[in-house]
Amino acid sequence: MSRQANRGTESKKMSSELFTLTYGALVTQLCKDYENDEDVNKQLDKMGYNIGVRLIEDFLARSNVGKCHDFRETADVIAKVAFKMYLGITPSITNWSPAGDEFSLILENNPLVDFVELPDNHSSLIYSNLLCGVLRGALEMVQMAVEAKFVQDTLKGDGVTEIRMRFIRRIEDNLPVGEE
Amino acid sequence: MSRQANRGTESKKMSSELFTLTYGALVTQLCKDYENDEDVNKQLDKILCSHFLPRGYNIGVRLIEDFLARSNVGKCHDFRETADVIAKVAFKMYLGITPSITNWSPAGDEFSLILENNPLVDFVELPDNHSSLIYSNLLCGVLRGALEMVQMAVEAKFVQDTLKGDGVTEIRMRFIRRIEDNLPVGEE
Repeated sequence: MSRQANRGTESKKMSSELFTLTYGALVTQLCKDYENDEDVNKQLDKMGYNIGVRLIEDFLARSNVGKCHDFRETADVIAKVAFKMYLGITPSITNWSPAGDEFSLILENNPLVDFVELPDNHSSLIYSNLLCGVLRGALEMVQMAVEAKFVQDTLKGDGVTEIRMRFIRRIEDNLPVGEE
Repeated sequence: MSRQANRGTESKKMSSELFTLTYGALVTQLCKDYENDEDVNKQLDKILCSHFLPRGYNIGVRLIEDFLARSNVGKCHDFRETADVIAKVAFKMYLGITPSITNWSPAGDEFSLILENNPLVDFVELPDNHSSLIYSNLLCGVLRGALEMVQMAVEAKFVQDTLKGDGVTEIRMRFIRRIEDNLPVGEE
């Protein structure tokens, strides 16, 4: 139910700062609403999922990438096309598992965390967890059940931010995820 | 207190869709938290605080600091220059659009920004039970907060909104007064 009438013909390009600050306001609001970081993390993941299932439609319409034949192609498209388009960065792809079903995205810059400092009382917060939900939701819409999680985070003092992506299974049409 | 170490040397350019959807998630969350649209509107207007910015910062401070560092605009001499900078530099930089400036008051202390496209509302439909919601009210808070940091007390409000069926989105900007250094806004 896209309202194409409500858009200019070209996608608008913006600097990331207002997005960064809006995202901070969202995380702040969730921290007020939920008592502990674990619940905030879950809520960010869920919100991200809802965003992902809508973002994929825009992505497929604008990027003209065809169907990916394997998880390696998927990784390339995520890093070089999707991240570039929606966050203005190109993570590198590393650490493939021998089976080819897991890889890492290394983000040297993460626009969500520009100027952000994690206060001491939020050490369990996965600040950028929205991204994991987005990846999961978007890929589910193209028949891939995946797990995405942060394994390194510059906000926690790591040198880079690393998202680990794991292919769970292909989703057959008409079967909801989680049911066999 | 900028953490320049945490940034690439060039600002990243992104397409607006992820921002649009994240903003939608924020508004949705606020609508869950507050019982009526008026309170959501207030919260969007004042949502200048982030727990995650260094102490002493809010969104207006953060954004104006970034803007002044990157845009190289000098001090504005009057409200007309301010209007130009807001529309042609700031909106372009942070939202990728260039509103037009119209409807100057005779005294030169009020003008309108006309947004033909508003990235915050791409694909958004206002449900019937939120007819009083000023969906994009964050923008008014950001404008007010940022201008306060350059010694201008202004009022910013939506007077037309495509989400409510109007043909364009119009933000009315009104200059209240110059803020003297060391006097908090609101005190004489």
